[in-house]
Parts: sequence; structure tokens; C-alpha cells
Amino acid sequence: MFARLITKFAFYLNSSGRYKNTKKTFHNFLNNPDFIYKKYFDSFMIVLILVSVIILVYEVEHPIPKWVDDFDVYLVTSIFSLEYILRFWVYNDFHIAIVREYEEAHFLDKPFSVWKPIKIVLKGKLRYLTSPSAIVDLLAILPAYRPLRILRIFVLFRVFKLLRYTKSIHQFLEVLATKRFELVTLLFLLFFIVSTAGIAIYVFEERTNPNINSIFDALYWALVTISSVGYGDISPMTPAGRVVSMLIIISGIAMISFVTSVIVSAFSEKLDELKEHRIVEEINKKEEFIIICGYGQMTRMFLKSNTIEDYEYVIIEKDTKQVEIGIKEGYRVIQEDASRYDVISKFNVNYARITLLALTGNDVNNIYITLNAKSISRNIKVIARASDHHMEKKCKLAGVDHVVLPNMAANRMLLFAITQPAMYKAMYSMLVGQTLAQLDEISTIEHSKLVGKRIEEIDFKAHKLLFIGFQCGRRNEFIFNPPAQIDIRKGDILLVMGRRVSINYFKQLNAGVSYD
Amino acid sequence: MTNNQRAFLFGYGKRSLVIAEELQIRNFLLTIVVDTDESYTLAKSDGFLDVVKINMTDDDELEQLSIEEDDHLVCIMEDSHFNVFLTLSLRALFPKSKIIALSDSVHTTQKLKMAGANRVIDLYQVSANRIYNILNKPLATKFIDNILSPNNELSLREIVIPKKSYLDNIKVDDFDFGKHGIILVGMIDRRLSNQFLFITSGLEHQLNVGDTMVCIGYNDDLDRFEESIHQHVEEE
Repeated sequence: MFARLITKFAFYLNSSGRYKNTKKTFHNFLNNPDFIYKKYFDSFMIVLILVSVIILVYEVEHPIPKWVDDFDVYLVTSIFSLEYILRFWVYNDFHIAIVREYEEAHFLDKPFSVWKPIKIVLKGKLRYLTSPSAIVDLLAILPAYRPLRILRIFVLFRVFKLLRYTKSIHQFLEVLATKRFELVTLLFLLFFIVSTAGIAIYVFEERTNPNINSIFDALYWALVTISSVGYGDISPMTPAGRVVSMLIIISGIAMISFVTSVIVSAFSEKLDELKEHRIVEEINKKEEFIIICGYGQMTRMFLKSNTIEDYEYVIIEKDTKQVEIGIKEGYRVIQEDASRYDVISKFNVNYARITLLALTGNDVNNIYITLNAKSISRNIKVIARASDHHMEKKCKLAGVDHVVLPNMAANRMLLFAITQPAMYKAMYSMLVGQTLAQLDEISTIEHSKLVGKRIEEIDFKAHKLLFIGFQCGRRNEFIFNPPAQIDIRKGDILLVMGRRVSINYFKQLNAGVSYD
Repeated sequence: MTNNQRAFLFGYGKRSLVIAEELQIRNFLLTIVVDTDESYTLAKSDGFLDVVKINMTDDDELEQLSIEEDDHLVCIMEDSHFNVFLTLSLRALFPKSKIIALSDSVHTTQKLKMAGANRVIDLYQVSANRIYNILNKPLATKFIDNILSPNNELSLREIVIPKKSYLDNIKVDDFDFGKHGIILVGMIDRRLSNQFLFITSGLEHQLNVGDTMVCIGYNDDLDRFEESIHQHVEEE
């Protein structure tokens, strides 16, 4: 009966979109590094931890107002406890396991037991509870228990808790982990030298040196000396003790330089990877960005001829030489192969609006890059370069949203220059967007002062602009040269031509965002 | 029927076919000048009759091409260094000819201009801007695509003001182009500088016989407008 109720409830939860969405939202905030709003949650938690640590440290010697104490005991602790419970909740799902087990049993026509999936999920939950980060989370709650003052030492765990939210410390530990073998070997060597020297000094000076009363004192002296700290509270008094000191000092110098070189080499080996990782991480926090594949003439021209500062972008290039040139020229370039699944999938394909520019000089590569991107997410918008019309067809088949044909565009301009020289300048301005005159669009959502006006009421001529037409927002239809009596409504987009300065000034005059 | 204009295409490769074909369609007297046997064979096999193979580094051979002042010289050699050199040679030999050159980088563009090319088309500049427009100005992109498409409804057109036209001596601001459903983008004022001037440049323009107007409009409206200015002349 009870088992049947649990199964029923599991099916109810499994079909509830609201429950799934709620759980997914919490999961995103807590665990999904690609979730755009996670950074706000992380920042909030970092501030909360720092405030609580400051309160607890200040409280050691100074009395604090009751409201500050209440803030720490009730609010901070409640948030930490809630976070702990939520992490426990989102770690895995009972209902999914139960439903899956039920369906499997039904399919195979075998007896169904609700306890088996529950046991598996519970095991998972237990695994979570005993994980280092969950233990740190739990211990970080403890300093709030005021009657036991000793528990305040657990304030340290609040500092450890910062590890969860600060990636740089995490990365530092990851880099050190790559040299685990060397560091562990050095640790054993250190242990060996310290214990040998400690035992030696203990044997030589236990009776003559008043500061060495136990083996602990001797080991403490050995460690302080080998680390080159040398407090001076314990120093050798016999010639034999001084010989041990000399030996331990020499081995100490060797050890320190060895440890330093291991850490430095770990970082220098991982430096490029860390930098690239950081670039990807930074861009993944943005809601919209461009991935440019290939760093050649076309990319350079795109980056130079337009205000690339307006965009968040990353360039992916395979060739080491091109990567070096790109970095030297001041662009964000990472050395990867854009046609590889794992390279594109590490971008935030689920939450960000991504446009991918396949601009390598090779049609086959551009098509492969497109297919790779589209296989990861259909939402990635792809603009690809192709050499001719035959390739254009293939690009379209591969899913390219816009195909750019540099040869065709250049040919067209050449023909204009030869056959219709008067129009060349007009065409060139439209296509290249010169300062002399360019086509631009003015959105009435961003420039709301235009909303409600009749076209004849706007003096385009006085602003040295040419009004070409507008896109009617409601009907999604472009009206060329519309009648002057038409009203401009919210959502319409005006198409104008003029100098950049005129357009910018006109936009500035009519700026304003309408929220209704 | 020819339009009496001659064009010399220097260099012949994969990308030249479209240009050469278009020039022939527009009845240009086309001469293809090449410097290798491969290009010569390719041009011949594409069906072009007037193909000449010369050593382009030799000025005497270039001079023998009997190029005249009004001829269009199109430099589209694959090798950018050689293209610059050829432009320089042609400019030195034919100071008044119109030289149009194709470039594949900003640096080459600058050098071609210094070498004396009247117009330099950068292979990537237009495309780079197209990408920018796709991202930023989708409406403008659609509009330009419509104008450039072979089956366009809207187009840009050059209209020369005929003699005795009612547009003669009329200020641009005093004439309502909108009434004819078209927009005047700019013009070449023969009396002023013979340079293209945008209507948005802020200068006061006066239309005169022989000026070339560049207008945007639906093809029917442009036809009607062109017809109307000619009809007016006939009536007079």
C-alpha cells in the first residue's frame, strides 16, 4: 500500500512540469556553471561568507550589537542551511529512478519493488553527504551554535566554502594536482628528513638542551629549520647538534627550490590552457556572443572594419602561427579545432545566443564546422564563407543560416565599377558602410520618442537623413517609401541613409526605451 | 550590338569567368590578357575569342595592346605583388585610362591605390561588412539583398536628365520625388565636380541637363518616372 503510494507520487512528480522546472532552476543556480545568472548567486554567497567571517572574527575580542549577532545566527545560517538542503535535494531524483524501475519492470514483465531504486538514490545522497564539499558546507553552519564556543573554530570552513564560488583557487588546486606525483614524493622526502633530523637532535641534545624536552620539540625544531623560518626559540647547543643543523639547512634549501620549480613548471605548462579556459569561461557568462572560426584575411577585415568592441567574441584557430599573430594583434584567440565536438560544446550552447562565423579559407572545413555546431545545438546561428554558388547550396544543406560569397561580392562591385560608375559610390556606401553615407536601422523600442509620430512630423531632411522605408512591427512587412501620413508604432524599425554622425545624433535625440 | 566600350581583363582564373561573362552580356568589347599558357587555354576553353598572351612585365608588349583613354583596365591577377606592379605599369603607360583592381588585403588595397588604380575592390571588405550587417542590421541587409538580387522588385538606377527636361534648373528640395514613388539617393553634377554627391551631404543641389541622378524605387515606378521625363521632352 505504502509502496504503491510512493510510486503514484513519483509518477505525479515525473509528469509535473512545474516541479521539474523548479528543480532545474535550483540546479542551475547551484551547480550549472553555464547558467548566466549563477554568477549573481555566487557573488551573493561570497559576500555573505565574507560578512559572516568578519562578524565571527570581530566578535572574538569585541562585543557586537544584538542585531548583528541575530543576522549571523538566523539569516546567514538559515541561508547556508537552505543551500545545504537544496544541494542535497537536487543531487539526484527519487521519482526518476522509481519511474524508470517501474517501466523497466513492466516492460520485462518482472516484479517491481519500489525499495530498490530508493536504495540506489539514497546511496547517491549518502555519497553526496560524505563528499568533501558537502562536509565543508555542513561544518560551515556549525559556528552559529553559540552555547559551544569551540564550534566557532569552524569559521575556517566558511573560508573553505569560498572555494565553491571562486574559480581561481579551484584552478590553482587543479594545477597542483597535475604534479601530484612530484609533490607527494617531496612530501615523503620532507617527512623522512624532518623525522631523521628530529630523532638525531633528540638523541644528541635531550639532556643538554633545556629547550628540547620531548621528541615533539625535536621534530618542531627540525621542521622550523628545514623550512628556513628559524624562530630561534630552540637552537642546537652541542657540536653534533650543529652538524645536524647544517645538514638540515642545506637539504632545506634544496627542498624549497625543488618545490618552487615543480609549482612554477606546473603553471607554465598549464598557462595557455588556463588562459583559454578563462576566455571560454568569461564568454560563457554573456547572454550573446560570437565564435569566429579561422583567423585569416576575412576575419581580420571583419574585426577591423567594424566596431568589434560592441561584441563579445572569441576566435578559434588551429594554426599555431596564426594564433600567435592574432594574440599579438590584440584579439581573443584560442588554439583549438572548431570542427571538434568537444571544442564547440564547451560553450554555453543552452543558455546563450551564439552566432558562429565559419570564415576559414577552406569550404570543406567551413561545412564541417557548421555541421559540428548544428549537431550540438540547432540554436547556434551560423554564417559561413563559401567560394562559389555550388558551395552555397551545400552550405545551405548543412544548415548555414547565411552564406557569404567574397568572390561574388567582389565581382559584383567590379561590375558596378565598370558598367555603372555613377552608382558605384552609392552601392559601395550601402555595402561597406562608409562614413560618407550608410544604411542604418532605427528601432522604435530603443528610440521610443519616435513612437506615435507621423512620418511627415519627423524632419529627416533637417537631420541630413534620407528616409527609405520602415518595417511594420505588427505585420512584419517592409514598406518602401511609405505615405507621409502613416503613424510610427512601437516595434516598427525605420530604415534611413546618411552619414554616421547624422544617424548617431538622430538616434541620440530620440533615445529612450519604452517599457509598456 | 556593342556599347562601344572596351574592357581589358588582365589575368584569367576561376573567379574571372563571371566578370568576363557579365561584361560580354553588357556588350563590352572584351580583351582578355594573360601571361601563362594555362590561363590562355582556360580562357579559350571558356569560349572567349579575344585572348592575348603577353609578357606583362614588358612595357612594349603592353603598349602594343592599343589601349585608349576611355578603356577600362581590370587587374585581377592572382598574385597580389604582380597585380600592384601591373597597375603601376598600366598607369605609367596609360595615364588617362580607368584602372580597376582587385585586392585581397588592406595593405594591398593601399598599395594598389598608390600605384594609380582608380577603383580598388577589396575581396573581403564587402563580405566582412555583410557579416556585420547580418548581425546588426538585418533589415538593411534584406533591403540591399533585394536591390542586388537578379529578380529584384526594388532597384538602384542611374537616370540622366535629358535636354529640355522639366527637371532642368530645379532645386532638388523643390521637386517631390516621393510623388513618383522613388527616392533620390544622390547625383553626379556635371557642372560642379563630376563627382557623385549624396543627397544627405547637406549641400543644396540644383538639377541640370546632363546630370545623372541615382534613384531607388520599384522597377515600375522607375520606368514610369524615366518615361515621364522623356515624354515631357517630346511634348515640348
